[in-house]
Amino acid sequence: MIEGELAVPWSSRLEAVAPPEDRGLARDGVRLLVSRGDALEHHRFRDLPQLLRPSDLLVVNQSGTWPASLPARSERGPFLLNLSTRYAPEVWVAESRFGPAEPGPVPLGLGEQFEAAGLRAERIAPFPGVDRLAFYRFRGDVEAAMRRHGGPIRYGYLARPVPLAEYQTIFARVDGSAEMPSAGRPFTARILESLRARGIRWVPITLHAGVSSLERGDAPSDRQLTYPEPFEVPAETVQRIERTRRTGGRVIAVGTTVVRALESATGPGGLRAARGFTQAFLHPGRPMRTADGLVTGLHDRGSSHLSLLAALAPAASLERAYRAAVAEGYAWHEFGDSHLILPS
Amino acid sequence: MAPIEPGARVAVITGASRGLGAMLGGFLAGEGYDLIITARDGAPLRERAERWQRDFRVRVDAIAGNVADPEHRAEIERAARRARRVDVLVNNASELGPTPLSALIDASPSAFADVMAVNLVAPIAIVRVLRPWLARSSGLVVNVSSDAARGGYPGWGVYGASKAALDLASSTLAAELRADGISVVAVDPGDMRTDMAQRAFGDADLSGRPPPEATLPFWAWLFAQPPERLSGRRFEAQAEAWEVPA
Repeated sequence: MIEGELAVPWSSRLEAVAPPEDRGLARDGVRLLVSRGDALEHHRFRDLPQLLRPSDLLVVNQSGTWPASLPARSERGPFLLNLSTRYAPEVWVAESRFGPAEPGPVPLGLGEQFEAAGLRAERIAPFPGVDRLAFYRFRGDVEAAMRRHGGPIRYGYLARPVPLAEYQTIFARVDGSAEMPSAGRPFTARILESLRARGIRWVPITLHAGVSSLERGDAPSDRQLTYPEPFEVPAETVQRIERTRRTGGRVIAVGTTVVRALESATGPGGLRAARGFTQAFLHPGRPMRTADGLVTGLHDRGSSHLSLLAALAPAASLERAYRAAVAEGYAWHEFGDSHLILPS
Repeated sequence: MAPIEPGARVAVITGASRGLGAMLGGFLAGEGYDLIITARDGAPLRERAERWQRDFRVRVDAIAGNVADPEHRAEIERAARRARRVDVLVNNASELGPTPLSALIDASPSAFADVMAVNLVAPIAIVRVLRPWLARSSGLVVNVSSDAARGGYPGWGVYGASKAALDLASSTLAAELRADGISVVAVDPGDMRTDMAQRAFGDADLSGRPPPEATLPFWAWLFAQPPERLSGRRFEAQAEAWEVPA
C-alpha cells in the first residue's frame, strides 16, 4: 500500500538472526526507537515505562505461540506443514513448505492423503489467492499431535532453531498463534513492575496470528494480503479503554495484532466486546480509530504491518524513522528491535 | 425418532452445479460430508458429484430439478430419508428474473411470481420437508441472500425484494424452529464473478470481482461454529470481521 512512498535503503537493514539473549542481552535490552511525529529518540526497551504517562493504557495480545510447524510426509517425500489457523478441531489452514528456507507449495492433489505429525491428513481446498496456503483436514487430535511432534515455525534467516519457550511473551495466556505476536516479546517482569509503579495499566485482547511467510517477500503478488484470524476483545478491556479515553489518557497498542483486534471490534456505536475472525487490513485510506500509539517491531517493505503503521503516522515521519533505524543498525524481524510510535 | 446414528454428516445444497453452490459442495465434501445436491441442469451436477465422490470418498446424491417444483422437493425429502440425517441445508438456488433487468415499476407480475417462487417460497418449503431430519441433527439452515436485499439498486428490485423477504423469513424461521434445535442464518456472499452476475450485467467486464472461492474462509468459519450461537443472524461473507455473539 505504501510501498514506493518510503524511500528507505531497505537492503542495508540488519536482520536479527537469533534472540537478543544470544548476544548477552536481556529481552528488554533490545533497542527502542521512539517517534513523536518527526522527532526521534533512541532508547533501550527497558526505558519504556519512563517514556509513557501514568494515564496511558497499554493493550496487549495474550495469544500464546503453538509449536505449529509439523513434520509431514507424502508419497513424494518429506516436507513441512506449518499450521496457520484453526477453523475447526480437524480443519486448519496451513502452509506446505519444503523447509524453513524453502517455500512451497509442495505438490499435493485435492483429497490426496499424507501423514503429518503422525496423523492422517488431506488437502481439501485451495486457499483463495494464496497458492502456498490450503485448507487441510486431519483425523485425530491435532493439538496433541502438534505438542508431541511440532516445533515453532521458523524461516531461513534464523541462525539456529529456537525453543518454543523463547517465543512466548510474558502476556501469553491462550495458545493459538502460529507465530509469536512479537511486539510483546521485550516485556519482562521488571518492566511490568515499573509500569505498575508508575500507575500504567495493561489490558488484554486475543488475536491468534497466522503464518507470516506471506509478509516475507517470498511471493510478491500476495504481499498485501491479510487473511482471517481469530480474535476476541473482552468486555473488561472495552471498559478500561473507555475509562482511559474519558479521563484523557492515551491508548497504546502493543503490536499490530492489537490494533487489528480493536479496529474489528469497533462498530458505528464505538468499541464493544467482540469475538470472531477478522481480516481487517489497515492502511492510510482506512485510518485507525482505536489506538493513539503503538509498540511494534520493524517491518519489511510492502508488508501489511507497514501499511498499518502508515494508518497511524504520516508516511514522511515513518520514512524518517525507518531511515534512522537502518542507519543506526536497528535489527528487523521477530527477535529484533522495537519501535514506539507516539502522537507528536 | 430414534437417536442419530454415527456416520458422516450430511449437507443438502441447492444450485450446486455452478458458482457458489459448487464451491460449497466441494468444500463440504472435503470436510467429509455426504451430499445431496440439486440443480436444474443435470449434466454438470452429475459431473460434480462424480468428482467429489472420487476426490473425497464421500457419497453424493445428485438430483436434477427446479426447487420451485413440489415434486423436486419431494425427491430431496426422499434423499434425506435415505441419508437419515441433514446437518446442513444451503438454500443457494436463486432466480434472477428476466434479463436485461428491468425497473421494478415495469416488472411483470409473472416474473415477480417466478422469482418469489424460487428465492422465497422454495427455501421455506425445503426447510419444511427437511424439518424432521434437521431437527434430529440440530442442523443449520443457510439461506443465501444478497446485498441487493438492502441496496435499493435500480434494476434489482424484484430480485432484491425476494432476498429481503428471504432475510425476514430467515430470522422468523430461526425464532420458530429454535425449539426444534434447528438454527437458521442468512448470508450475503457479496459481489462475486458468477454466471448469474454476468447475466445481470450483460456484457460488462466483471473480471475485477472476486470468484466465489474468495468467500471460502467465511464458509469454513461459519460451518465450524456451534449453529445455535449464530441462529437468527445475517452475515456478510466479505465483511472485515465475522462475529459470534458474546
